Amino acid sequence: MIKFLLPSNIYFFLGKIIKFINSIFFLILIIGLAFALVLSPPDYIQGDSVRIMYVHVPSAWIGLASFSLISLFSILNFVFKTKNLYLINKSIAPIGLLFTSLAVVTGSLWGQPTWGTWWAWDARLTSMIILIFFYVLFILSYKLIKKEDLAVKVSSFLAIIGSINLIIIKYSVEWWSTLHQPASLKLGNSSSIHSSMMLPLMIMLLVLLLYGALIFLMKYKTEIIKMKKKNVKRL
Amino acid sequence: MIINFISMNGYGSFVWLSFGIVLISCLVLYLKTKKTLRKYEKEFIAEFETLSESNKKAVLEKSRIANQILATNSRAD
Repeated sequence: MIKFLLPSNIYFFLGKIIKFINSIFFLILIIGLAFALVLSPPDYIQGDSVRIMYVHVPSAWIGLASFSLISLFSILNFVFKTKNLYLINKSIAPIGLLFTSLAVVTGSLWGQPTWGTWWAWDARLTSMIILIFFYVLFILSYKLIKKEDLAVKVSSFLAIIGSINLIIIKYSVEWWSTLHQPASLKLGNSSSIHSSMMLPLMIMLLVLLLYGALIFLMKYKTEIIKMKKKNVKRL
Repeated sequence: MIINFISMNGYGSFVWLSFGIVLISCLVLYLKTKKTLRKYEKEFIAEFETLSESNKKAVLEKSRIANQILATNSRAD
């Protein structure tokens, strides 16, 4: 299984998957935007401002999921010392940083009409800002440290320490009294979101996941080419 | 009807700005990533072209990825 996931075995498929995502992406994007901006109903309290949810929530989920993956792969990298995991982490990090930043910005734009403020230093918002710092430090660690072994160690250490913040983000709305509402969707529990809003939310999640996958594959392909270029240079 | 859709009952500026920021930042990252990928593909090929014939042969025999990068680029040309 691990052998199958080696860059030399999967490189061939990367181009094909990128082409496939490119071919279906715009259709799903248009369907997602039609549902999010036109077909879904306004909220009975928040009115049309609730439409911000369709970009804010998936962005936050992808931002958190990306760092969770980075932390998991960093732990696995410490154990198995596989360079491929480091390349995967380098390819995921910019996507996570983008979506976490978008979650904060769109959250601020949603906060003004609903809470009456752009920003509050409450636990959820502050822990999301800390996540952005962890992403920035993670990216800087492999950009600034030239020795690859050291860069792997430093970035993995940052990712593992940063995973503590993920738990704080998840439970911040339960542990502290925050301006941010508790989660409306819980795994295994029934959702408090009506299906007319759930459908656009899931379509927009799919759109942003496809976009994330596209960027990941392109970045991963770039990392593999960089590695091969170094090998050619040595000859 | 169109004005209502754009104004979104007074929330238009917040909603459109949110969607606009998301779409523009995603587009910028996509274009930047694509440009970097093309740059490294070209640099790899340039590096490969500087090799001697025997080294070129050795690289092509050993590396399936090198074969695929060169094949993709020749199709793109």
